Amino acid sequence: MSWKQRLVPYWLLGPGLLWLILFFVVPMYFMGELALRSGTLTTGYAFDWAWSNFPDSLSGHTEQIVRSFFYAGTATVLALLIAYPLAYAIAFRAGRYKALLLFAVIAPFFTTYLIRTIAWKTILSDSSPVVSVLQTLSLVPPDGRVLATSGAVIAGLTYNFLPFMVLPLYANLERLDLRLVEAAKDLYSSSTQAFLRVTLPLTLPGIVAGVLLTFIPAFGDYINAQILGGTGQAMIGNVIQSLYLTQRNYPEAAALSFLMMALILAVVTIYIRFAGTGAFMGDEEEAR
Amino acid sequence: MSASRTRKRRVPLTVAAVVAALSLVLGLAACGGDTVGGGGNSGEVTVAKSGPVKGQLTISNWPGYIDPGPNGTVAEFEKATGVSVDYIEDINSNDSFFGKLQPQLEQGESGGRSLFVVADYMAEQMHDLGYLQEIEHKDLPTVFENLQPDLRSPAFDPERKFSVPWQGGMTGIWVDTSKAPEIKSVNDLFDPKYKGKVTMLDELRETPALVMLAEGVDPAKASAEEWLAAIDRLSAAAESGQIRRFTGNDYTEDLTAGNIVAAIGWSGDASIIENDNAEWRMPTEGCVKWSENMVIPVGAPNTAAAIGWMNFTYRPEVAADITQFVEYISPVKGVKEILEKRGSDLAESEIVFPSEEFTRNCTGQNTPPELDRVNEAWQNVLTG
Amino acid sequence: MAVLSRAWGWLRRNALPIYACLAVFYMLIPIIVIAVFSFGATPKGKLTFGLSHGFTTEYWTSAFSLPELNEALLTSLRLAALATVISTAIGTMMAIALVRHKFRGRRAANLLIVIPMATPEVVIGASLLSMFIYLSFALGFTTLLIAHVMFSISFVVVVVRSRLIGFDRHLEEAAADLGATPLTTFRTVTLPLLAPGIMAAALLAFALSIDDFVISNFNSGTTVTFPLYVFGVALRGVPVQVNVLATMLFALLAVAVLIVLWQQRRGERLAAVKPEPEPEPQAPVPSTAPVAS
Repeated sequence: MSWKQRLVPYWLLGPGLLWLILFFVVPMYFMGELALRSGTLTTGYAFDWAWSNFPDSLSGHTEQIVRSFFYAGTATVLALLIAYPLAYAIAFRAGRYKALLLFAVIAPFFTTYLIRTIAWKTILSDSSPVVSVLQTLSLVPPDGRVLATSGAVIAGLTYNFLPFMVLPLYANLERLDLRLVEAAKDLYSSSTQAFLRVTLPLTLPGIVAGVLLTFIPAFGDYINAQILGGTGQAMIGNVIQSLYLTQRNYPEAAALSFLMMALILAVVTIYIRFAGTGAFMGDEEEAR
Repeated sequence: MSASRTRKRRVPLTVAAVVAALSLVLGLAACGGDTVGGGGNSGEVTVAKSGPVKGQLTISNWPGYIDPGPNGTVAEFEKATGVSVDYIEDINSNDSFFGKLQPQLEQGESGGRSLFVVADYMAEQMHDLGYLQEIEHKDLPTVFENLQPDLRSPAFDPERKFSVPWQGGMTGIWVDTSKAPEIKSVNDLFDPKYKGKVTMLDELRETPALVMLAEGVDPAKASAEEWLAAIDRLSAAAESGQIRRFTGNDYTEDLTAGNIVAAIGWSGDASIIENDNAEWRMPTEGCVKWSENMVIPVGAPNTAAAIGWMNFTYRPEVAADITQFVEYISPVKGVKEILEKRGSDLAESEIVFPSEEFTRNCTGQNTPPELDRVNEAWQNVLTG
Repeated sequence: MAVLSRAWGWLRRNALPIYACLAVFYMLIPIIVIAVFSFGATPKGKLTFGLSHGFTTEYWTSAFSLPELNEALLTSLRLAALATVISTAIGTMMAIALVRHKFRGRRAANLLIVIPMATPEVVIGASLLSMFIYLSFALGFTTLLIAHVMFSISFVVVVVRSRLIGFDRHLEEAAADLGATPLTTFRTVTLPLLAPGIMAAALLAFALSIDDFVISNFNSGTTVTFPLYVFGVALRGVPVQVNVLATMLFALLAVAVLIVLWQQRRGERLAAVKPEPEPEPQAPVPSTAPVAS
């Protein structure tokens, strides 16, 4: 390979990496820097190594952080349970309709996040037939409601992030070599055993990728809590949004965002150390 | 070529890019001042230039504050003056609008807007930060000819140097009469039999103030402790689930959908609420009376047209059109008579033309003492 | 009895497809609701999601009567189109580099691409805002474009990459054997075969851009995109036209995708390319193979 040819990948990568560095990495630096300032709108934000912003921002909002973990976690588990069979069906039983089904999975994106969530708000409103059905089924107390409860927020999160769970699962499942499952069966294992011991472990990278891609955005979400929730359902995303846009307490907002970012970075890095970034994208790392 | 030589030549682009980016950033940090994003431009104040009314005008306002249709006020203005108007309804809360615009206002820019409409206290805050231009009375003949006397000299702008009232309103209680006809006071909203069926506004100067009124405290004179006490009561109600949600404009949705029986809300929203059983009530202990103001920001293009707009909307006929559509309180004299002549039953409405008697217990939008502390406590209630 | 057991057997065998249909229906529920209620009559022109007043098509005929809504939608479409073109181009290049070339810093590059996908939008939006505040950079269409391209790149890379990995290199090698230069090969063989993957990536990028609210809310300044407009009016009563336009948008895109898929199918048939053999469903449906006791 000539010297010029060796440079080709760098030219190809250049614009993208530059864009990501300038508009993803660098802003993170600015956010960190803003977190170390203190002040108000009228006095300006002076840089004075205000390290106290970090623990302060956490201590004031532990309730929302814990709540966000709980909501996002539950939503992720639910999404996994719903998405796995769906992804499996699309990968192996869809035949000609595969692309169509995949489109149906992304289709909700085309109606904008807000409208979808508002539609759910209506479907789940106190006087809707859906809620009446749920009440007769005793899933909801007779004089209870669905909206403005944790349940509604979790349901919203599950729905809105389902595609993020389906797609990585599907990408991974598609590569599953069914002959391995056949072989297990030939060796006298039952279907359940074959699933647990062959399919599940082989698709684990896809599962973990899906879980990460669902849990993390759900953790920082605030729309579902705002539209479907009530008092007492606020998530950490709501807090950050309020701090930035309503209270204009930029230093505390930046500190909180930065901490959230650091936490996620830690989790993702640990995972990638173990599984390689290829696994994150649902396939094995190429050894070309 | 030996391997080591080629290795040295291959400077990964990643590293080069990172180094470049970091030096750019460090360079900026060196140039940028120590203090950023605040301080305001207070000091010099610009005066809005008047002139022939023509060209293009961009206005930001709250939703539902004007008839945008082909026969509405905007269209009328365009026909009368030849100005092409870009009317944007992008203000949903004073705070978040301010938050969005602040970085630009700080630079002396208005994002292309020549005029927008904000509450008294927000206009005051913006003026103190130097974000608004002053307007000379001689340029606003129609305005000052028709402005209601009780609005000529408000506390926050005694000489009406930078604000011109747009509409006024009252914050009280919206009640679904088919479900809870007996609600008459803000205290009723804390009744456990309405648990989870009540919403309140997220405005600091309205909800806690109403609670204070209901307890016999005068918000205009209350101490920070009294504000905090009211906020505590609200916090407890939120935690127990008594208050379903704190809302902005969207309490109207819950009323329409039948999710709630009562809400703290604004007097003129009848045109938005699609629930024939809903009615606005003046709380027995009084309401919060507020007004919104047209202001001209720094960096506004075509201030002459903005001034022309202000004059135009103060023509009694035009003001009557606006009131008919919006159903809020007009700052213009003579609107009631015009509506009577048109045979509109709004002329009889106490909500649109409240008498002194009707609003005798009402207070204005007061800013609490020790604002930062009180506001933080309030925000903590809002974010659960 | 036999009928019952046959029916049960059928149910068990087809449990998975049935479930898939139900799941897909669940995904489409809000869309159906949105479409249905765009036909609901409402006295005050605001969406009530109730059909108590009957049906009407008036909002469809007056779909474009709200100038702000139209402008917001146009802004969103413009933004999405530009962002899609830029991010697809950049992302495709990156995917090719990652899959086809050896170079140092591959791990770092992978990391950099993957992390934005997993970052909450609040953090991305807020950090961009911090930077723009610091640089006193005016917020508006440009800042929106920057943000949208940024979060789309990663997704484009992932999609194109997975298509590239499953690529049959023999065709390219054949072209090289026939004397084509790498550039010509790329142009005439690789790119056309890669096209579906690129299209899929572009579609995803477009959807993400149109859909984005959180990041746009932080960085839009005074520019109003469709989701921002919806957020604004949602608080005061959504005009029914919003539903109408959302349904229209969805229908248009659905039709576009269906056409693309149909063309693909036609292309495959015409080229006599055998579609992938449908794998035999085995797990988790119980196998009928005898099991040694």
